[in-house]
Amino acid sequence: MKSLAFPLACLALLAALLGAAWQQSRTPKPVALIPTLTGQVEYCLTCHGDVPEISPSHPVKTFGCVICHGGERLALDKTIAHSTMRGGANPSDLQFVEASCGGTNCHSGAADLHNDHIPRVLSSLQATYAGAVANVLYTFGAQNDLLAHLSAAPLPPSNGKSLPALNPSTETSPQVLAFAQNCLNCHLQAQPRPGVEYSRFTGCSACHTPTAGIDLASTNRPVIHKLTTAISYTQCNTCHNRGNYDLVKMQFVPRQDHPADRLNDYYQPIAQFTRCEWTLDCIDCHTSGEAMGDGLFHNTKKEAQYVRCQTCHGTIDQLPLTKTITDPDDLALRLSFLNPVIDLKVGDTILVTDKGEPLWNTRMLPDGTYELFDKATGQRFTFRPVKGSACQQKADEQSSAACHACHSVER
Amino acid sequence: MRPSFFHHLHPPTIPSPQARWRYTLGAGGMAFFLTLVLILTGALEAFYYLPSPQEAPQSIQTITYLVPYGALLRNLHFWSAQLLVLVSGLHLLRVIFTGAYTPPRRFNYWLGLAAFVLILFLDFTGYALRWDSGVHWALVAGTNLLKKIPFIGQALYIAAVGGSQIGNATLVRFYGWHIFGLTLMIVILIAWHIFRVRRDGGVAVPPPDRRQSPERISRFELVRREALAALLLGAGLVLLSAFVPAPIGGPIIPGASVVEARAPWFFLWVQQLLKWGDPFIFGALIPLLALALLAAVPYIAPVKPEELGSWLPPSGRLAQAITAVIGLAIVILSLMAWLPV
Repeated sequence: MKSLAFPLACLALLAALLGAAWQQSRTPKPVALIPTLTGQVEYCLTCHGDVPEISPSHPVKTFGCVICHGGERLALDKTIAHSTMRGGANPSDLQFVEASCGGTNCHSGAADLHNDHIPRVLSSLQATYAGAVANVLYTFGAQNDLLAHLSAAPLPPSNGKSLPALNPSTETSPQVLAFAQNCLNCHLQAQPRPGVEYSRFTGCSACHTPTAGIDLASTNRPVIHKLTTAISYTQCNTCHNRGNYDLVKMQFVPRQDHPADRLNDYYQPIAQFTRCEWTLDCIDCHTSGEAMGDGLFHNTKKEAQYVRCQTCHGTIDQLPLTKTITDPDDLALRLSFLNPVIDLKVGDTILVTDKGEPLWNTRMLPDGTYELFDKATGQRFTFRPVKGSACQQKADEQSSAACHACHSVER
Repeated sequence: MRPSFFHHLHPPTIPSPQARWRYTLGAGGMAFFLTLVLILTGALEAFYYLPSPQEAPQSIQTITYLVPYGALLRNLHFWSAQLLVLVSGLHLLRVIFTGAYTPPRRFNYWLGLAAFVLILFLDFTGYALRWDSGVHWALVAGTNLLKKIPFIGQALYIAAVGGSQIGNATLVRFYGWHIFGLTLMIVILIAWHIFRVRRDGGVAVPPPDRRQSPERISRFELVRREALAALLLGAGLVLLSAFVPAPIGGPIIPGASVVEARAPWFFLWVQQLLKWGDPFIFGALIPLLALALLAAVPYIAPVKPEELGSWLPPSGRLAQAITAVIGLAIVILSLMAWLPV
């Protein structure tokens, strides 16, 4: 026995070492990535190699994962690797957006307003919902004017300025309290209502990540790793056009149907709309300045939204505003590069809004008419200016109701 | 057979009854083996560990996840350290419960007790070097406890932390103490301790005329037994380290809520005491009093020479009772802190 003890102990140690080697062989081989922007190795792809690239503008070889998502780039344990991620799966949530997407080479701090995306969004009504808040507070006597003083949720400042958030616990008016509790789930910072029809993320991804129709609560849904500027109307619909606010009960009354046919059941029964309002996508007319904000804290949607029928069609006296592209670095060219539905070139003449925003998916044709490419589908449309047509609408009466009087679609 | 270098480190023969496992528990030898493992694995870890708050958690992740066998290495270091606390505690109990603290071994008993305290400090500094969310609370609570000591507390805190609050300097100081200051001290203490074991006449034995058996074992047999114990303990350690990972956490996020408001297991009893009142009295004075009582054991109950060499000598009853009470109290307090309330 004594003579066997030593060899047996050696065998025990050998067995333990073999066990350790076996355990080591079972650990996954780390997959390294050194993104050119950070130059720091990260191992996220060891587990996430199957995640599709988020967009052609954010190639993974350049950006990697950590620069946007945060997280522990070296850890191969799920809990630790994810422990410092920003905003869970959605780093674009407005609480984290500056850290995730900001920076002068990225989406904040740019000298030109257009590229200063994050401050624009943080000041926009989509984020603050300040117009609705101001209106409700004014209506129920909780403030004396119709100016935006409060936002629907706490937000990081936009270029140093932010509106304080409406605080339900300090509200005395039952209506305002009910409004604060029931009606603040549509702004960019709010979690959406439950239901696949409200399926969206928060922050930038609310619009730029296509989630419409996908049940985000489902455990076996596909990974949605996509950012796009080709935003379909269905994405806008995850907030807009979902029902009505009952201002007596201060409740949101969701519509019961699930509009499938855009012409017949998309708009609510009383709505008037023209052909382009149901054939085009929302962002074909509504510019980024309107939808994403222009850096100003507007008081009402009316202030922010300025594109009208005449922006593209002009009036009986005037052609719509246009601009001929001369600079190869023109904003219109850059935007069309991001979403190449149109082969825009230097020398092309495009429509512009009265604030100078390019309608970069349009082009003037040699015969004086225009073409427009749908930003979401790429479909080509042509249209004419009002000037020279049979239209008799006065140049100073250009509300949508005035145009709808003749041009609304019957359904 | 000619004795090798390692044989020469041992006395030519030792009394057989006192060389038995059931008398020594092999605890001192195991503690020595674990110390060797710790020095070796610690030296290897030092090639990767980066002592700065920003880089420390990342360098530990590198060791754990990316270096081949790095996780095994780190787990070996961790488990050896935990076992060392247990085994050296066991060694202390063995010495007290066999009366071996009695002169001429009194001084060596104190050397051993000091080494045990150093082991606790080494464990705590090593634990803090993780510098992740799992250790943050204990680091803050532990260093704040220093401030509560009258007169010298503030100076002690600044000496330990390296400033008015935990930061870069704290980590560098803990690192310096862990890999150099405390390690150097314990290496010297252990060498002295082992030297004194031989100088004091080896393991405590009764006088020759009181021995049950005159049998002695040779240094060859002694080394064989030590090697056997080292092999088996090594196998156990490797197995444990291969399959039970050492704790690791995400980085400390300033201002984030505390992930784990818990002291490392060997200080849980102090954490429990701290819940009961004044931090100085309960967190520092009572533990120090317990240590002082243990140090005074050679005076409280010196054991008669003829009772040496076996467990529970009658003349050492008071020392055994005091130690049992302290030991039980530590176990119960630790369980109270560990179990959910």
